[in-house]
Amino acid sequence: MSTLIASVGFGLVTASILALAAVGFTLQFGISNLLNLAYGDTMTAAAFAAYLANRAGADLWLMLLTGGAFGAVVSLALNRFVYTPFRRRKTSLFGMVIVSLSVAVIVQNLLLAGFGPSFFTYQIGQSRTLRAGSLALTVNQLLIIALAVAAMLALHLLLTRTRLGKAMRATSTNPSLALGCGINTPRVVGMAWLLSGFLCGVAGVVLVANTTAFQSTTGNDFLVLVVAAAMLGGVGKPYGAMLGALVLGLVTEIAAGIIAPGLKEGFAFALLVLVLLVRPQGLFGDATSRAVAA
Amino acid sequence: MSAAAVFYLTTLLVYVGVDILAVWSLNLQWGIAGIPNLAWILFQSAGAYTAAVLTLGPSSGNGGFQSYIIGARLPFPLPVLAGGLVAGALAALVGLVVLRRLRGDYQAVVLLVITVTATLLVENFPRFLNGPAGLALIPQPLSSRFASSIGYAWFYVALTAAVCAVVYFLVVRRITGSPLGRALRATRDCDFAAAALGKNIVGLRLFVFVVGGVIAGISGALLVEFITAWSPGGWMYVESLVVFTAIIVGGTGNDFGVMAGALLVPVLFNEITRYIPTFGSPYLVDALQWVVIGGLALLFMWFRPRGLFPERRRTMALGGPGTTVAGPGQAGVEAGRAGASQGSGAGTSTAAGGAGSGL
Amino acid sequence: MTAPAPPPGPAGPPALLEVTGMVKSFGGAPVVNAASCTVANGSITGLIGPNGAGKSTLVALIGGAQRADAGRVCFLGQDITHQPVYRRARAGLTRTFQLSSEFARLTVMENLMTAAQGHAGERFRVLLLGKRSWRQEEARVLDRARGLLQRFGMTAKGNDYAGSLSGGQKRIVEIMRALMSDPQLLVLDEPLAGINPSLARTIESYLMDLNREDGLSMLIVEHELAALERLSDTVVVMASGRVIAEGELSDVLARSEVVNAYIVG
Repeated sequence: MSTLIASVGFGLVTASILALAAVGFTLQFGISNLLNLAYGDTMTAAAFAAYLANRAGADLWLMLLTGGAFGAVVSLALNRFVYTPFRRRKTSLFGMVIVSLSVAVIVQNLLLAGFGPSFFTYQIGQSRTLRAGSLALTVNQLLIIALAVAAMLALHLLLTRTRLGKAMRATSTNPSLALGCGINTPRVVGMAWLLSGFLCGVAGVVLVANTTAFQSTTGNDFLVLVVAAAMLGGVGKPYGAMLGALVLGLVTEIAAGIIAPGLKEGFAFALLVLVLLVRPQGLFGDATSRAVAA
Repeated sequence: MSAAAVFYLTTLLVYVGVDILAVWSLNLQWGIAGIPNLAWILFQSAGAYTAAVLTLGPSSGNGGFQSYIIGARLPFPLPVLAGGLVAGALAALVGLVVLRRLRGDYQAVVLLVITVTATLLVENFPRFLNGPAGLALIPQPLSSRFASSIGYAWFYVALTAAVCAVVYFLVVRRITGSPLGRALRATRDCDFAAAALGKNIVGLRLFVFVVGGVIAGISGALLVEFITAWSPGGWMYVESLVVFTAIIVGGTGNDFGVMAGALLVPVLFNEITRYIPTFGSPYLVDALQWVVIGGLALLFMWFRPRGLFPERRRTMALGGPGTTVAGPGQAGVEAGRAGASQGSGAGTSTAAGGAGSGL
Repeated sequence: MTAPAPPPGPAGPPALLEVTGMVKSFGGAPVVNAASCTVANGSITGLIGPNGAGKSTLVALIGGAQRADAGRVCFLGQDITHQPVYRRARAGLTRTFQLSSEFARLTVMENLMTAAQGHAGERFRVLLLGKRSWRQEEARVLDRARGLLQRFGMTAKGNDYAGSLSGGQKRIVEIMRALMSDPQLLVLDEPLAGINPSLARTIESYLMDLNREDGLSMLIVEHELAALERLSDTVVVMASGRVIAEGELSDVLARSEVVNAYIVG
């Protein structure tokens, strides 16, 4: 039982990291109808940027900012200079997968070429472990959870209270109608990529801050879990991604704690395949959602 | 020729053969039928692992440092055939789950997740296929029959070539050159229209997915019996991108174009790195190789998405209005039907011709 | 191409297509709401109604592209409500599409030849038996396709990629392709939309020939009422997901409920 409670604690941390990543990923899909497989490697790149900042003396907060800013810029550039031109040429949906996969491979291997195959760590100091019964989390981990909650809240406010947020939702649902309503679609799309890129970068830094060491493949390894969380909730639905992240985060850590640590992602994927068989549009998607029928 | 040169050449030729089988299999699935099979490498691996565990003999052998299932010592060519069959069965299973009316990119990502899950399973159940270390010391088939290893090397080249020929004439050409291939291409171009014309698109896709899977499995089995080792590090999902790039570069849908792609992408790439002086550390050349592959894919997707040798246009004899044209090798066509359509055709052709000019 | 007419029963000949009580909702709102209609054998039936009436959805339900929430579709006396699209096509119900649906990377001839039903060359056993098992039938299909090309004056375009044709030419290919599949009922979704008037008249005359000479039945969704006046025997009027009138076009247009539907929209 105590293992279960401890696992729940870890599950919340993983869920937080996943939430930050999955929401960014799903926002990109929502606004551009694109499964950005370079997302994981963008996370890694941001993590490396934060690493360099760390080496220059930055603390965790500055690293988060650096990573987020780096992720934002890279994502924006990616959409403007690679994805949009290809989409304008009416590249097929799978063609875009090849494009984003190629970008992913390029980014990951440039990082490998630049930094080498070794493992790197952040110097952010050991934080104290706080205990409450069987729950044992470090201060940094609690910070991660708090950060994720704050980000989700901020995003919720953005989407529901601000003009930009509403414009983003409109463009996601019906781009041509949004354009017809006078929404500056290219600008809204750009802001969406900037925002989701920021989440991507922050998620990358947070992912690394929670593990002992990272390398050029870390973000990409995490990508599959991110995609799974987004798909579970219904691609394009931010709240779905949050729920998907929570479910998968808990499932993986509980499975790791109780059953087998090495296979923990396996349970997440098995759950995803099951859901896709029963309800391919995910938990929140509608039956006519774009992810389903061709 | 020195022994070293012979070994180099024969190894190269075996890789050429295996890569050609690989592009043919993915070309059937994707180039012809439009299935975005990002899990392709899984089927080559299934074939390789199957052949391996059917050739290795019991796992207690060799000091028992490897653990794996089965461990038979079947004579050649059974392990290779079994490799194809198991890969085909796996393709059937995966196809049944994934090949519904999901949109292309969604399907691709699900296949990607399946591939990653498979890697996870193999690595975490070491008694299945020896986990992350993979299998090694796989005995080469019929090697005892050959006195010299040079002789054996040439034998294996001939074997690979023979398999390629059989696969091409009995499978690839039979599909792509037939009305079945046409139906697959129609499904690729507009699946809902194909269905509305009576094509069972799910059945068609499953069929070609399995056939492609079998060929991929055979390619894996052939390869593993030659290089005698196989591990998870060698079949990550990115490996499928190499085959896709080969097809994109060579010519999607073109049987000979993709062969050129196989020569240019996987083979050329692996060989070029031999001749570049090693600069920096070994990982650097490897990493740059991948950067170039990704860049090549992007370049061709942008400048020449149809590839170097695009899909051939299949032209047919059309005849003019009012003339009777014999079909290929068939002069005595049902005169009634042909006559009737020709007759009314002749009658209305002037009117149609007039309207035609307004099109 | 003509189906033998079903023997007339006591109440008259059974309908070729019978649609009963079709219901389809998207996201909670019913787009088709208890719609029923019939298409008599040998007739050209129009399907009209204001925008958003649910015509395209009804056509999709008949063709099988959408699954109905409730209701029944009977074709040639068989309940096809739960049959997948391809089975309906094989039974003789061929549907055309509003959006571009040509096989772009196939030639026009290939587009037509693909539509042939039950081709031995499309069976999986081609893998085992090789070319000999389908060569003869292919020649027959080739001839039929050539004949259609001639009939519609498209011989010159036969070896062109279907994707390279103009919009109007693609429409004709679509119709030719539907004909190659040897249908008993042709369901046409706005065949004349966005086509220049002279070409539209040509297509009209083809459709009339097909009905009069070959006895091909049709269900045509169309906005151009003048064309339907010439073409159709009866029309079905839809509004807000329901069928509100059936009968000859001139009669139906005089009815107040139809006029109101068009004004209200």
